[in-house]
Amino acid sequence: MTETLSAPAPLGSPPAHEVLLDVRDMKTHFKVLDGIVPAVDGVSFSLGRGQTLGIVGESGSGKSVTALTIMRLLDIPPAVIGAESEVWFDGREILHMPLDSMRRIRGKDMAMIFQEPLTSLNPVLSIGEQIGEQVRLHLKVSRHEARDRSIESLRSVGIPSPEARIKQFPHEMSGGMRQRVMIAMALSCEPKLLIADEPTTALDVTIQAQILELLKVIQQRTGSALLLITHDLGVVAEMVDHVVVMYAGQVVEQGTANEVMLEPKAPYTMGLLESIPTAEKRGGRLSVIKGVVPSPFHLPPACRFEPRCPYAWDLCHEVAPELYPVVGSGSGRRARCHLHQAAGESRRVAALELHADAMRVGRGLKEDPA
Amino acid sequence: MIKYIVRRTIQAIPVLFGITIVVYGILLAAPGGPTAKFAQNPRITQEMKEDFKRAWGLDQPVPVQYCRWMGFCSKEVDAKILGVLPAPAAFIGPKGWPNLLPTPLSGASNGVLHGDFGFSISTGELVNKAISRAALPTLILASSALVVWLVVAILIGVYAAIHRYSLFDQAATVFAYVGYAMPTFWLGIMLIFLFSGPGLNILPAGGMTETRVSPPFGSDDYWVYFGANTVAAILDIGKHLILPLFTLVVVSIAGDSRFVRASMLEALGQDYVRTAKAKGLPARTVTFKHALRNAMLPVVTNIGLELPLLFTGAIVTETIFSWPGMGRLTIQAINSFDYPVLMGILLIAATLTVFANLLADVAYAVVDPRITY
Amino acid sequence: MSDVFSNEPGIEAERLRRAEEAGEDYEVGLESLSQWQLAWRKFRHHRLALIGLGIIATLIVVAIAGPILMPFDFATIPVPDKIVYQGSPPSLAHPMGETGGLQRDVLELVVNGSRTSLFIGFSSMFIGVTIGTIVGSIAGYVGGFLDNLLMRIVDVMLSLPILFVILVAGRFFGNGSVVLIVVIFGLFSWMGVSRLVRSQFLSIRESEFVEAARAVGVRDRRIIFRHILPNAFSPIVVVASLIVAGNIIGEAFVSFLGFGVSPTTPTWGNILSNALTFIPLGNWWWPMFPGLAIILTVLAVNFIGDGLRDALDPRSRA
Repeated sequence: MTETLSAPAPLGSPPAHEVLLDVRDMKTHFKVLDGIVPAVDGVSFSLGRGQTLGIVGESGSGKSVTALTIMRLLDIPPAVIGAESEVWFDGREILHMPLDSMRRIRGKDMAMIFQEPLTSLNPVLSIGEQIGEQVRLHLKVSRHEARDRSIESLRSVGIPSPEARIKQFPHEMSGGMRQRVMIAMALSCEPKLLIADEPTTALDVTIQAQILELLKVIQQRTGSALLLITHDLGVVAEMVDHVVVMYAGQVVEQGTANEVMLEPKAPYTMGLLESIPTAEKRGGRLSVIKGVVPSPFHLPPACRFEPRCPYAWDLCHEVAPELYPVVGSGSGRRARCHLHQAAGESRRVAALELHADAMRVGRGLKEDPA
Repeated sequence: MIKYIVRRTIQAIPVLFGITIVVYGILLAAPGGPTAKFAQNPRITQEMKEDFKRAWGLDQPVPVQYCRWMGFCSKEVDAKILGVLPAPAAFIGPKGWPNLLPTPLSGASNGVLHGDFGFSISTGELVNKAISRAALPTLILASSALVVWLVVAILIGVYAAIHRYSLFDQAATVFAYVGYAMPTFWLGIMLIFLFSGPGLNILPAGGMTETRVSPPFGSDDYWVYFGANTVAAILDIGKHLILPLFTLVVVSIAGDSRFVRASMLEALGQDYVRTAKAKGLPARTVTFKHALRNAMLPVVTNIGLELPLLFTGAIVTETIFSWPGMGRLTIQAINSFDYPVLMGILLIAATLTVFANLLADVAYAVVDPRITY
Repeated sequence: MSDVFSNEPGIEAERLRRAEEAGEDYEVGLESLSQWQLAWRKFRHHRLALIGLGIIATLIVVAIAGPILMPFDFATIPVPDKIVYQGSPPSLAHPMGETGGLQRDVLELVVNGSRTSLFIGFSSMFIGVTIGTIVGSIAGYVGGFLDNLLMRIVDVMLSLPILFVILVAGRFFGNGSVVLIVVIFGLFSWMGVSRLVRSQFLSIRESEFVEAARAVGVRDRRIIFRHILPNAFSPIVVVASLIVAGNIIGEAFVSFLGFGVSPTTPTWGNILSNALTFIPLGNWWWPMFPGLAIILTVLAVNFIGDGLRDALDPRSRA
């Protein structure tokens, strides 16, 4: 259970006060027998106080590992965290701080909601005990006061008759109720940052909407920042201000939710958006991104999306693209694609047009004589 | 919960009845029988053997013998119906209630049903008395073994799980494999050779007390001595207890430490443990409150199922270390074909097994809120 | 049990990766293997199980050839005109030493004992498995009252301290012969198997492929022998390994107490019978080597059992 790092590198300077979370060049690799899996490979982003950020990506893109690294919930080993990686939270670097100090932040200033409400609650402890122990630990209040606070936080997430509910055990509740309990637990100490890792994936569709609505309302009411991790672009559009798109352990695009959703600049994001079935595309063929996510053991040599990219050319196979600023957009707008540097100038317009067409009628329909 | 316990107890009754039949059947089927011990004695005539059989009711038909042993027939009727199958009236006790009921209701007092196992054939002593005399030493051995077994097995298992693949964990694995393959009696013998042999000779090879110092354990004199030298007497027993205790627990610890480890590892990998860490709880709370409590659920059941092994183990251990308990009594009874004593011991052991299983289920229901009855 | 010693799953994954890189179609290769080929493939990669198999094979050779090379005759006393109470420690001539009293060669006893002990362990297991399979099949197939009765009998048998009952049986029925001991141990080791087979019957009887087989008129006997019993085979094999280990220890214990096989036929248990009286003389080699033989055998059988469990578990992938 030793989670300290061996040789902490000298730290950079803290970000401006308005920035609550600043992730800098995060690298999380897993050492397994077969080699090293670069689950997160140089990810950087930041999140302002009270703001919302979505991390989007397929399973295996490294988005959950990013969240777990921020929370420092990964076991070291097998996880290895890059020495030069830094995560600044509320003015402090948390990736290299002693685990004891980190424990005081976890659950208090930074709380996390997990994907599986069915298994994330301890089956042998009552709901009240599970919320109460956190409150007692961080807020140093009496058992009685912790109970009142637990009831209060259960009420705030819309659980009816919370006084009775705190005596219940997880198995006596439905999945949606349990996720509400998880949210209540996360919010019980009024955290500055709430990390939600696919909070609705395991739930029924109708419940999903309720939980998302709840998260949104609560985020606005308490003013805490929200880091939402999801594979669902629809959720992103509704829930967050800013978006980071991840592919194979790297950020491939970032910007505001509107920018990314309406004018995607990285071919991967374009492909993702094209694959969403919409009313306009009815009757057309639904486009998919060809190929599969590359195995972490043999990633493509340069651009990791290159083998699947419809716009790729020789350069993409030779030089790894950086996260280039997008031409003609704001400062936060970036995409990891050679289309957005001088060498890709000529191809960019064509690519964007192709994408616009695909969004309208579905890819491939144009060439299809039928 | 109470309803469940009552229901399970009632369900245990047919099993216990079955056990009496099996036990009786085994002993009945044995060739030779109680008179076999006279075979070598030339002074015992055939006539004397017949008298002996008649006196003990061994000449009766099997069902009559069984009913008398069980105590279905009342004492009064018993005398009259010897030689014939018990009439229905024979099942009615002095108070007019069926003889199947406990003593206060039926008024009957002899027979297994009424807590009377009869007389020992070899010594003529009441079986109850012989068993209760042997029960205390066994209880001392078994209960201290139980405590050591559980504490050590859980400690090793949990520590090995937390420090998985560490040197300790690997050593524990080797110990578990070898310990599990080791015959208890052989371990006892080797320990005696090691600690009581000519080399070291630091621990007593057998017995429960230093017989040169104190009167034999369990006698009235002993209790007088015990009252006068309490501390010395307890230390003396403790010294005699070390080797048998160690012998008795090694196999159980070997098996259960692996079980605890596996169970703990599974619990540590669960999502709720990650949740507990995410809440900022200290490592100790995460391990002992969140993981251990869940890891103990299968362990509780396993322990209940293994409790009877303690009894079998005690037979072995007591024999090797001449511990004056049930195990020794058993071996003596087997050697002298002492049926009543054997049946009494077997029945007690089986009853303990049935209730250990019941206890395990109840304990499981207590620790796991998901189980409802 | 075996996660420290067993081969790590990663090695197999590494092989798979190499195979992929070399362009082999690994998955298709797997498809063509039968269930048993697959199991053997997995078993082969279980290092400890292979060691166990090697030990057992060696022991079987010893058990067969040993008594021929160094025959044991109870009536022959090595040094008839010499009365030495003290045994002699291991030496070149007697690698495991000599016993106190009759000055018998411990190696000779252990070698001859291996034949009896292994024979008892394995043949009592066969009896137990046969009875268990029959009882379990009847209970699971017939169901109803008979099922209930048989399972209550199993409950009763499991509530008895079995080793204790075997002691009693050994004393009351035994006459020191090996066959009787085998039968007694066999008669008391079928309960676990019968429960296993019965549960297999219950779960498979209701399954769709059996319904389908019934629907097209396949006879019950064929269903039992083609579908149900082969499915129960894997768990039975694992339980059988436990029975072998348990019965070898059990026999040693019963014979040690003098209620088992008579000393005219050495077993690893009855060799030890007299050893306790020699404690003051410190003849430690006498009990030690037979005991080590037992531990080695039981360890080997347990390793094989572990290997079989991993190999026959369809959920574990090689």
